[in-house]
Amino acid sequence: MKIDPDCLTVDSVQAISAQDVPAMVAGNQLLCSAMGAAGVDGVTLCVTQLLRKHGPVPLLDLAALPPEAMCAAVGAVGGFAPTIELPPFGDEFTLAVRALEDRVGRRLDAIVSLNAAGPNALFPIAAAAALGLPLVDCDGMGRILPLIHQTTYALGGLHVTPLAGASQSGDVVVLETRSERADRLLRGVVDASGGFMICALYPATAGELRNAAITGSTSRILRAGRLLATASGRSSTLAGLSHTMGARLLASGRISELCHSSPSVGTRHYPSMPTSIVVDEYGRAGRTVRLEAQNELLLALIDGAVAAAVPDILCLFDHQKLRLVGLEGVIVGDHVDVLVIPAAPMWHSSRGLAVAGPRAFGFPVCHPREGGYR
Amino acid sequence: MNRQRPPGPLTVAELVHSGPLGRAHLVAAPHLDQQVTSVSLISDLAQARRCAPNTALVVHPAAAPGVWALESALRFAWERNASCVVAPSEISITDSTKQLAERLRVPLFTVDDPAEQALELAATIADTEAVRCRLTARCAVLLGERHRPQDIVAVINNEVPGVRVVLVTPDGHTLAGRAADNRPAGDPHQVRVPVPGPDGRPWAELVAYLATPSPSWVQTVETILKVARAPLAAAIAHSQLSSVRQAGKDRLLLEALLHGETTVPKDPPAVHSTAGRTDVAQIGREAGWRLDGTHVAVCLRPLEREICAPDAITPGIIAAWHEAFPQLPLVPMPRGWVTWFTGESAEPAPLADLIRRRLSGARIPISLATGIGQPATGLKGLRQSVAEADLAAEVASRSGESSVELYGELGPRVVLARLPLAEIADAALVLLADLAADPRTDVLVETLSVLLDCAGSTGQAASRLGVHRNTVLGRIERIRACGVDPDAPEQRLALHIACYALRSTRPSR
Repeated sequence: MKIDPDCLTVDSVQAISAQDVPAMVAGNQLLCSAMGAAGVDGVTLCVTQLLRKHGPVPLLDLAALPPEAMCAAVGAVGGFAPTIELPPFGDEFTLAVRALEDRVGRRLDAIVSLNAAGPNALFPIAAAAALGLPLVDCDGMGRILPLIHQTTYALGGLHVTPLAGASQSGDVVVLETRSERADRLLRGVVDASGGFMICALYPATAGELRNAAITGSTSRILRAGRLLATASGRSSTLAGLSHTMGARLLASGRISELCHSSPSVGTRHYPSMPTSIVVDEYGRAGRTVRLEAQNELLLALIDGAVAAAVPDILCLFDHQKLRLVGLEGVIVGDHVDVLVIPAAPMWHSSRGLAVAGPRAFGFPVCHPREGGYR
Repeated sequence: MNRQRPPGPLTVAELVHSGPLGRAHLVAAPHLDQQVTSVSLISDLAQARRCAPNTALVVHPAAAPGVWALESALRFAWERNASCVVAPSEISITDSTKQLAERLRVPLFTVDDPAEQALELAATIADTEAVRCRLTARCAVLLGERHRPQDIVAVINNEVPGVRVVLVTPDGHTLAGRAADNRPAGDPHQVRVPVPGPDGRPWAELVAYLATPSPSWVQTVETILKVARAPLAAAIAHSQLSSVRQAGKDRLLLEALLHGETTVPKDPPAVHSTAGRTDVAQIGREAGWRLDGTHVAVCLRPLEREICAPDAITPGIIAAWHEAFPQLPLVPMPRGWVTWFTGESAEPAPLADLIRRRLSGARIPISLATGIGQPATGLKGLRQSVAEADLAAEVASRSGESSVELYGELGPRVVLARLPLAEIADAALVLLADLAADPRTDVLVETLSVLLDCAGSTGQAASRLGVHRNTVLGRIERIRACGVDPDAPEQRLALHIACYALRSTRPSR
């Protein structure tokens, strides 16, 4: 298959090299409120080594691919903690992709991202480098969502399976089932193989992806990462994030409470732990901002009224240290800005909100775009 | 109780004090005076959005998967003007939720069983009269157990929710309760009930300030205030009787001390007794009286023009005195009230200033004259000082206004204070009939008086009167023409006293 070289320009980003990895790391934190700036050193090292070994990865616009070009999404399934303890060795990507190719009977022409956020923004780059394939500038979430079928790919009618997963121990599993069952089945295998697997999934042609992918995901976080890496002041950083990501300042204040609670009945199928953060706005008449999280920040209430909700992205920006604060790094007393980054328009459709809106996470409220409450 | 009156809605505070919310845990109580007209048990947050104003919003656990949902319910309660939010106690409420409730001014309660609470609330607000009757009955029981006005007013303030009550005198002085603000009479937020004294005459007024008036609530409060009137009258009667009894005992004791008695008949059970009699000084010391050291006596008495029964006003005078001088006894005596300051620093002149200052702000029902004696030591000295203060007070009482006289500054003039001036003046008018008939009688009497003061010296008399000596000589001729000889030695004392009496009893021009 021939790829048009004239289309190898994606908003001035032609390829991703080892030098771009720090900016990618900084940028993907913005879309990953769970992790923030903590704990991706091992993953970063792995990806950097692969890029140095195999050279830069071309970053393609989805439109540049011929409709029949075969693609598959690559991403990690599992928790962050295992990747901190035991980062990938680098051969998991090839194992997973080759197993998927064997199953579908076609070689891949390009790699797409499962979700270009958090560590999963880096793994597709590593896979593309290891396999010598280009990376398509798109993803299926635009953020981090807990289930592998909570994607715009699934919204666009693509099937999660067949999928192939490879663990750091060299285990390879190929799964073919209905999309809704895939996550539950895969989760058992992931737990058994150490809590983390590199997966190749959503095998589809570029033509099928055009109606299902969120385009520009990787280049966007690369731009945001460059902005954050060179942040010199609060207002200029917020203005840059507003320009690059459409980020909006919801509130500024001091974190006054941080508490964990048990998952409610309706959300026990999520691999997550509810967390509640309270930010007291500055000033005598300051409002109370409550942030509800299940690994990721999902809901923001200001004085009890829903101000922002999943699938829009919420994140905390420490405006004194000029860095993002992940849930694991939240400390009572931190002075933070609460930012909202709008999700891709596909998520704001009624089907999108049914899959990844607040009700899907057990919050019996409507997304602000639906008018608040039912 | 009038069963025809419209049943006004209960307030949250009433439901706390007399209804099922009394068993709920009150998390935040920013505004308990809102009325409750309905109850809504919500199993879905969306129902909270549709609740009617003045609803008690009871949140079922199904509608509150976390504290965030409770905050949402508070928000809806605020937006819909609900009266309060009742949440399941299984939600761990933090400070931020409490602060939010206070900021939104929505009372927040927690209960173990929200559904049961909702049922009880619904039953209670359906029969408001029963709640208010229970409240009135409880107040009646508690009021009957209190014996001081402050305690009686405190019962109403503590038990009747959303109401602040004060007991005020007709002149606006607060006797019990927190001082009232200046709201006009007739304010619907105000209920006034007159309180008669033990003699049936108006004595004070109970004023209640209501946070949320409604016709039936006003009637309930008025009923409770009326119930409080009898205990208040009894409390005042008891207080006055005690005061009169104590004043009588003090008077007997002081009279015994002043008359030099060392013992009085034994009053069982007496402790310090000698052969069946009790040591007077010892009784005084046990009563807290200071009998040793240097004393300066002070005597108070009504002005001569005051028409009053001393026994009737004694409790008021003593109460007012104790507001000004809480540590000093004030003992009623036949012509007034006596006290004394003891200590080396007790000096008449500074004491006069102190008494003027303190008594000017005291609530004394009549105008008083004050006499202050000289410092003297021991019990004997106290007797002397009291006698001096009594004379000085007599002089002060004739001055026509509330004044303080010091015996030390009056000198021998105090003797004149005991003269029966009215009777002498009547006799003088007979004796000096011709002089009194003269058209210039005042001038002639004054001239005669000054001439006698100056031992017959016309020069000195002219100087004191501010006229020429010839004028004085002319007036003397005219006095002589009226049959009065100022030079006759056997008449001079009588004439002098007669002139003094006439000048003292005639109104000044």
